[in-house]
Amino acid sequence: MKAAIWAEAVKLAGSTVGRVASAAIVIGISVISASMLLAAATTTDPQLLAKLGPVAAGDWRGFLLGAVQITGAGGLGGFAVVLAWMFGREFGDGTIAGLFALPVRRSTIALAKLVVYLVWAVAMSLLLAIVLALVGTLAGLGPIGSGTLEALARQAALGVMSVAITLPVAWAATLARSVLGGVSVAIALVVIAQVSVLAGLGGWMPLAAPALWAISLGITVGPLQLALLIPFAAIFVVLIARSWRRMQLDR
Amino acid sequence: MTAPLSLDHASRSFRNGSGIFDVDLELEPGRIVALVGLNGAGKSTLMRVLLGMLRPQSGRALLNGDALDSAPLSEWARVGHLVEYPLAYGELSARRNLELSARLRGVADVPAAVDRVITEFALEPYADRRVRTLSLGNRQRVGVAAALQHDPATIVLDEPTNALDPAGVIRLRESLLRRAGDGAAILVSSHHLDEVARIADRIVVMNAGRLIGDLAPDTPEIERAFFELVRADDEKAGR
Repeated sequence: MKAAIWAEAVKLAGSTVGRVASAAIVIGISVISASMLLAAATTTDPQLLAKLGPVAAGDWRGFLLGAVQITGAGGLGGFAVVLAWMFGREFGDGTIAGLFALPVRRSTIALAKLVVYLVWAVAMSLLLAIVLALVGTLAGLGPIGSGTLEALARQAALGVMSVAITLPVAWAATLARSVLGGVSVAIALVVIAQVSVLAGLGGWMPLAAPALWAISLGITVGPLQLALLIPFAAIFVVLIARSWRRMQLDR
Repeated sequence: MTAPLSLDHASRSFRNGSGIFDVDLELEPGRIVALVGLNGAGKSTLMRVLLGMLRPQSGRALLNGDALDSAPLSEWARVGHLVEYPLAYGELSARRNLELSARLRGVADVPAAVDRVITEFALEPYADRRVRTLSLGNRQRVGVAAALQHDPATIVLDEPTNALDPAGVIRLRESLLRRAGDGAAILVSSHHLDEVARIADRIVVMNAGRLIGDLAPDTPEIERAFFELVRADDEKAGR
């Protein structure tokens, strides 16, 4: 397992996809959140202020609510692209043949990919929360109180929980044997999450629960609903490992 | 003595009717077996079944006498292979790719193994360049080096001379002969009959998914003998 984790970490660290996605998630979300804050501070246009929603208040609460809304969709997309690439690229590049006939099981390689993805996603989530705290401080939002710390923790937790809901992307990239197959499913996941919220499933739909939890300041989604993410993730980890173990190069 | 890798009446076909049928093949320590055949004869499919990339629908693929699924995992550390695409990631340097392959195969002294194979395949000028920037031939050298650097006891190479320049072909030939001399069991597929005739102890001819016979490496006019064998098989089968 150690060798497989090392291999996956080296691949992700050396990749353009990994670097671009890391920058897009940490810098991109911070810049968009800061721009919204700047727009709120400099405009008097009531329509624009209405569009900015909670950010219009120009305080920590509004700023971080804006950030979790962007992370809920944008961050999820960034994570999913990296995950789709980690799995799908082995087929696109033909390197999958080299992952057979090794003293490391293919299911172990797949699990190593997930471990590296998890570590990377947690690091990005923490880094994003830290950068947002810096941006808010530089923007003059005042000292970071306990409420703000809680909001920053929710921001980081949203990123970590996004790992669980993106797992179907890895399975799809494996079954489709392409990066694009995984990305298509990522788009479908966002759509399903939106539709399920509109349909009233709310926090009971694991795909939507983390974002709803973060946006509602942890009020409308309960611990049991968030806990559903664990079996959701477990099912997909098993499916991914099984697909890699049973894989045949028959197409 | 148990063959390190073997096929026992193995068949694996695809929906379009192609595949391999009732194939018996044993690799032997210290011997180079060359697999020759026209495009589509089933050489790559045979190698995929032999390495567990495809499961036979009937018959068996064996590693040291055990079915591939139940063979001890550690046995694969003594196998080196290159089938179709080299295990070389474009974003990593040649050296990093070799390290990656060596680690996955549990090599004890990775830097020493990598340095050795870089010298063996004259990869020094390219070692620190990203594989993406290398020519097809040099990428193939990296792939061959990755398959051989852990000094495997069993070697399976599918068209390893593809894209190699004459210097690369000679290095590969010398490397395989030395490894066979050290006791490695080797299977190589190729289109180049003259090339395999120089190194092989046994040349196996494949046609339409079946092994149809052997050619002695010292057969005069070996290409003619090959086509005669294929033609006779096609005629027999009414193709």
